[in-house]
Amino acid sequence: MNTPPEDYELLRWLDGEMNDAEQDAFEARLAADPSLQAEAALMKRLSSDLRSHLPAEMPVPYADFFNSQIQVRLAQDENVQPSPAVSGGWFGWLRLPWLTTAFATAALVLAGLVAWQNSTTAGGDELVHSIYVPKAGVQARSFHSKDARATVLVLDGLEDMPADRKIVGFNISHGEVDEALAATTLFDDHGRAVAVMSKDARNQPLLLTTTNPRG
Amino acid sequence: MPAPAAPDPGEVPDNDLVKRCQAGDTRAFDVLVSRYRGRIYAMTHHMIQNETEAWDLAQEAFIKAWRALPSFKMDSAFYTWLYRITHNVVYDWLRKRKLQADGEFDDSRTEHRIAAGAEAVPRGDPAPDTALKNAELGRRIQSAIAKLSPEHQQVILLREVDGMAYEEIAAAVPCSLGTVMSRLFYARKKLQELLKDCYEHAA
Repeated sequence: MNTPPEDYELLRWLDGEMNDAEQDAFEARLAADPSLQAEAALMKRLSSDLRSHLPAEMPVPYADFFNSQIQVRLAQDENVQPSPAVSGGWFGWLRLPWLTTAFATAALVLAGLVAWQNSTTAGGDELVHSIYVPKAGVQARSFHSKDARATVLVLDGLEDMPADRKIVGFNISHGEVDEALAATTLFDDHGRAVAVMSKDARNQPLLLTTTNPRG
Repeated sequence: MPAPAAPDPGEVPDNDLVKRCQAGDTRAFDVLVSRYRGRIYAMTHHMIQNETEAWDLAQEAFIKAWRALPSFKMDSAFYTWLYRITHNVVYDWLRKRKLQADGEFDDSRTEHRIAAGAEAVPRGDPAPDTALKNAELGRRIQSAIAKLSPEHQQVILLREVDGMAYEEIAAAVPCSLGTVMSRLFYARKKLQELLKDCYEHAA
């Protein structure tokens, strides 16, 4: 786009791109030209309004999840282990604020997950869990027993919980994956659905339970 | 002129983190993500004006940056390099969505707006009519930005939002200084035209 050089002068003056000599010369010209003054005032106001209404930095919704999902993608793409403190996967939902540490502990000690695992892996006992740990000092380990048909997830380093804190655990018999809905439903021994893990409209993790996890 | 990537005292410099990333340290990359996610998200949000898409695109930009890090020679600031990747990610997304038509954008992009001006409203509970006018101006600005071509959006956002100098913009785009000035000139004239009634009424 061809524009007269004098227009660039105004531009450079507004943006502080002139040296002292250029600035003095332009300001002398500006003082003698009311129409240029009006144009400069309008441009200044536009700049000010743009800066006011377009923040340079915005809070990222679910910022921790943003980071953990990147780590998951890196691990998937590069076949590298995610860092111990920030790993990801299905259990990313555990860091949601409404899910207390107590519930995290209780819910993680799930017995009888093997049926669900079998539905997601070919070997049954080869599933590699990707565990998101919400606190840097907490270590997560998982054990899978083919004989017991159970997987136990253990979190070490959690803070002490009040003695009166109610903890509810779920015995999961099996799980069913609904790929169309991108949801996994977990069932107990009696075939009752006790929890549904999915994502909401914003692609954020969502956990629905039929039992109040806080008792 | 604010340096976009200047770390606070005590922070690990970007280049040190980049070197660790290039050695495969994903934790170092996590630090960089935390450092720049707010800026990158703001940039994608200003260009896309859809919270969910902006979130995804910002994430995609970081992932592409990780993949490209082995070839990053640190001949520019990390943020400048990251911004260039982000712009390309957004630009590709826009092209795929066929939102671009003759340099202007489909107004449907402005359906999902942030609470425009929310962060710009001065503290101290302005009078309701002032707050309303401010919010309306914010919406108009968002809409006007959306009507610019990606190239013009890019330079105006780098200049006005990130406060980059012309040379930094030229490095980020990348293009010549003359192109930076030309695009800035056009973008401002176009915005003036689109916001003309706002300023006429206020005058």
